[in-house]
Amino acid sequence: MAEVKVRLRVNGQQREASVEPRVTLADFLREPLRLTGTHLGCEHGVCGACTVLVDGAAVRSCLLFAVQADGADVTTIEGIASPDGDLSPVQEAFRDCHGLQCGFCTPGFIVSVTAFLREHPDPTEAEIREALSGNLCRCTGYQGILHAVRQAADAARRGEL
Amino acid sequence: MAESAADRAGRYAGARVRRVEDSRLLTGHGTFVDDVSLPGMLHACFVRSPFAHAAIRGIDASAAQAMPGVRFVLTASDLNPGVHEQWHTTIGKQMPETPRPPLAEGEARFAGDPVALVIAESRYLAEDAAERVEVDYEPLPAVVDYTVAEQSDVLVHAKHGSNVIAKMTTVPASALEPVFASAAHVVSATIHQQCYAPVPMEGRGLVVDYAKATGELTIYASTQSPHEVRQFCARLLGMPEERVRVVMRDTGGGFGQKIMVQRDEMCLMLAAPLVGQPVKWVEDRRENLLAAGKSRLEHADVKMAFDAKGEILAAYIDFVQDCGAYPTPWPLFPAAAVGTFFPGPYRVPRGGFAVKTLYTHTVQRAPYRGPWQFESLAREVLLDIAARRMGIDPAELRRRNLLRRDELPFKNPNGMAYDKISPLETFEQALAMLDYEAFRAEQAEARKAGRHLGVGMSNFVEASTPGYGAYATETAKIRVEASGRITVYIHGGSSGNSIETTVVQLAADALGAKIEDVDTIQGDTAVTAVGAGAAGSRSASMSAGAVRATASALRERILEIAAKKLGASPDEIQLAESRASVRARPETGVSFRELAALVGDPKGLEASVPYTANNPAIFVNATHVCTCEVDVETGRVRILRYIVSEDCGPMINPNVVEGQIAGGTVQGIGGVLFEQLAYDDDGNPVTTTFMDYLLPTATDVPEIEYGHIETPSPGPGGYKGVGEGGAIGAPPAVVNAVADALSPFGVTITRLPLTPARILSLLDRKATWS
Amino acid sequence: MKPAPFEYHAPRETAEALKLLAELGDGAKLLAGGQSLVPMLALRLGVFEHLIDIGRIAELRGIERRNGELWIGAGTRQATIEKSRDVASAVPLLARATPLIGHFQIRNRGTLGGSIAHADPAAEYPGVALALDARMEVVSHEGRRTIEARDFFEGLWSTRMEPVELLAGVSFPIWGGRSGFAIEEFARRHGDFAIAGAAIGIELDGGDRIRRCAIGLIGLGSTPARARAAEAQLAGRPVAEARPDEVGRLAMEGLESVPSDLHGSPEFRKRVGAAMVARAWASAAREARDG
Repeated sequence: MAEVKVRLRVNGQQREASVEPRVTLADFLREPLRLTGTHLGCEHGVCGACTVLVDGAAVRSCLLFAVQADGADVTTIEGIASPDGDLSPVQEAFRDCHGLQCGFCTPGFIVSVTAFLREHPDPTEAEIREALSGNLCRCTGYQGILHAVRQAADAARRGEL
Repeated sequence: MAESAADRAGRYAGARVRRVEDSRLLTGHGTFVDDVSLPGMLHACFVRSPFAHAAIRGIDASAAQAMPGVRFVLTASDLNPGVHEQWHTTIGKQMPETPRPPLAEGEARFAGDPVALVIAESRYLAEDAAERVEVDYEPLPAVVDYTVAEQSDVLVHAKHGSNVIAKMTTVPASALEPVFASAAHVVSATIHQQCYAPVPMEGRGLVVDYAKATGELTIYASTQSPHEVRQFCARLLGMPEERVRVVMRDTGGGFGQKIMVQRDEMCLMLAAPLVGQPVKWVEDRRENLLAAGKSRLEHADVKMAFDAKGEILAAYIDFVQDCGAYPTPWPLFPAAAVGTFFPGPYRVPRGGFAVKTLYTHTVQRAPYRGPWQFESLAREVLLDIAARRMGIDPAELRRRNLLRRDELPFKNPNGMAYDKISPLETFEQALAMLDYEAFRAEQAEARKAGRHLGVGMSNFVEASTPGYGAYATETAKIRVEASGRITVYIHGGSSGNSIETTVVQLAADALGAKIEDVDTIQGDTAVTAVGAGAAGSRSASMSAGAVRATASALRERILEIAAKKLGASPDEIQLAESRASVRARPETGVSFRELAALVGDPKGLEASVPYTANNPAIFVNATHVCTCEVDVETGRVRILRYIVSEDCGPMINPNVVEGQIAGGTVQGIGGVLFEQLAYDDDGNPVTTTFMDYLLPTATDVPEIEYGHIETPSPGPGGYKGVGEGGAIGAPPAVVNAVADALSPFGVTITRLPLTPARILSLLDRKATWS
Repeated sequence: MKPAPFEYHAPRETAEALKLLAELGDGAKLLAGGQSLVPMLALRLGVFEHLIDIGRIAELRGIERRNGELWIGAGTRQATIEKSRDVASAVPLLARATPLIGHFQIRNRGTLGGSIAHADPAAEYPGVALALDARMEVVSHEGRRTIEARDFFEGLWSTRMEPVELLAGVSFPIWGGRSGFAIEEFARRHGDFAIAGAAIGIELDGGDRIRRCAIGLIGLGSTPARARAAEAQLAGRPVAEARPDEVGRLAMEGLESVPSDLHGSPEFRKRVGAAMVARAWASAAREARDG
């Protein structure tokens, strides 16, 4: 199939590449753009490892075609830390609370949690668990992740997110 | 040599040190195998049999080969003859072979069996082409149910003559008959565990890059053991080992599924010299659930004899396990561990076991975190059944039988001698953490209100850190670089188990360095010594041994050089904060950087000393206690509290210990309540996506509480392995909690998984809901 | 798991989309949120030569009151519905069903129309639409028509829409008076498809009798279902007399084609379905009575 040029902003930078329409946003980020922090855990929209922000909303990038994101503003895990490399409060919380082991699901969690806390800066325990239920982790048993989100929520309540 | 408290109490060991892996993983800069991109790299996709058993009459790849971007379509005749030798280092050459043709040869033996390998310019194109490869299958009768495989006329491997791979009996059941016949109580059951799988979030994969001009093969792999991949591959291809380099930076979980090179990876290795360009194969989730290997499918007839006081007189297990069509040799060995450990951490005077492993037309069995854990499931479930039958509280029954520290070493009736564990102590700690009496009172009140709460417990002992064969050694190289920083080169096998951090903590302590001055390089066979990888919960102890052995030698050199420089004798020198100074005059001193500059030897300041384990195993024990509520209208189980009280010896990093326990525990919870690799009667897999294979999520898990008891092992630092315990202790604790909740209904649970449908069917004897 | 190739079209206006549908015929598929379609494409369970992405058609989005009903454009994201105060006050059942759909990442992309047109019997929106007698506004290059919910769902994943038609919007009646609503569903994990669920609305008269009630059933057939026989029996009765477990039992009578799969047999689903109806009924009745 003929390739289509896709132009979008990724982590604040204008990027473009030509791909077949069937190439997912996840593969587009990983391959032509070489942003390999977004991971493929299932490719059918369940595990959440591929989560990115599209126009500020957390979405599964394996369920979007790159062509659908033409003109959009995308944030990937590589764009979460500050340009100077300072970890965001969510990233720090995961580091402080042993919220990751193999790290494969981690980018999806970080992006999802960042989006969630921006919209819900004062979540209850139940709301946190429900919000996390769309991301799968096999290493941590979610224990460190839950601690991390509670710590990051404190930062969100203080308006630091 | 026994470790003194001073040796153990370093600055970093025992502390919740932040992980060195995190800075790259948190920012999306890890390097997993699918992140590797090489110039000219091609992509592979397997054509897989849709049938559980079929003759392959022919393969027509012409349409596929004509498609855009398709470079190769390889079949068994292309790849399989390339096999020189095919055996795994930790298993050895002498073990009886189980057939494992890289690609299916003339016959497909499970749904998912790789039949052809398509290599194209992208994975998208390779998948398109794989659909167009025409395979002429003649479906044949399949034996899918392992419980009938022995009697079936349908043979998985005709040459083997039987579907029984192997069996053994240590003590025939008849030999224990007198004990059982005269016992006050005999309790028996047949316990079934369903098929489920490790399901790491990253599937298997590798990039193979064979340079024809130099005859060098570089492999980037998702693996728990880079050196095993290298050795296996070199033997497979008949290449000198030094021509094969394996690089692993980050692996997204393994849990046993990535310990052994499996057939799919063999195909890529064999294809590499034919292609002469880099080729990447990364399995997708469907393939991982279909073909990466299954685990846990097994059952056993178990029985125990008790005296009138409820003390165990004998324990027997007759265990049967499904190994699929192409298990890694030699399945009897890990299966026998189930029998060996069945008595558990209890005072069991007599026992024995029979073990049988079977071929079926299903995906091969793969190791999964605590591959022998069925012994704990069977024993602990049977103990609760026994307690209810004898009218003894399940905690009290265990209390009467658990081994006490003062009874150790204790040789179990199957010849396994446990030492340096604390079964009764971890058990009592767990009950205290729960406040067992208070829970029983709460349970009674809840029952009056029509709510069904339950408590379940399990105790287990496991043998970590195998000290035989290839597992017994580990070697680190430690160098003080010109910059003064310290680098620890060690094999590793870091796949979420924090081995990088562990090694850095240990080296910093051993050399008196600041932890931020220590780095580690792992996973690259070109720069690290041979090691057996992350398996058998060996990494803590073996890393500690390796780091200490080398650090000890390096430390001597550092002290020598510092002594000369500072005008003192070596025993007057102390190492701390990345400096060497005279103990009595700490304000003097020389930095590691300056020391490195002083060394005239071009090799610099480095050492490498192999470490060999002194013990065949290091024993670890734990108690799991779980409380739950069962909704008898829907069959839903909600876990309330979850307590793990463990003795893993001194902890190098409590975060890592708790994290490993948590991960294993949730896998165990998943195995009881959610997960199942299911097949229909014809051997067609029905759970090949995450929509049907259900992993636990954050809404399904309790807050895990940890209690720690520290009995040092005889190994370096007194450390023990802790990676597998959660998956061993959790399933029986959960099962027993549900059974306890439903005990007023007279329910006996002997079959997993405990889905809501199964729970309702257990409750309602008349109708079947599942 | 990569999809098979397709040609991609991204019309900006409904008329353009309809023209494409008419021209491209069977080989074309509408792409809305993609949360159900794209997994199917990835698994190659469905192969289409053309995808018509309607995500850029502004006129398909919106939430407005029209003629005493709440109209929601088919292209409106589930996340928008979740946050909408209009929906919360005018169609509480829809608002309460929304957080049960998958996970928030799914709802950020999934649409009302996509869910209804996909017609999965275990999904929340089809069940709610049927319970509330919603009206589907369907358009084609030949014109527009309205299909009542009771006629809309034909079979498993199939609706009465023609291949050249597109769902433009859904109008939900707004209940007045003393009404209460609840949705209860049983799923293996949070966010999974319902094994059995109930979407219930109850309106009481001044004497606490049931003026009307709607019992929508999710996951209990090849389409969403209404327990109309039970509703007829309950109409006019004092709500205090309608015991929730009795309502649950009644609602399960006469159900046909209850699914059977890995997650449960028909008997299991009905048993759980009865419990869900009972719980939703109790909750809705409480709200209707207490306001």
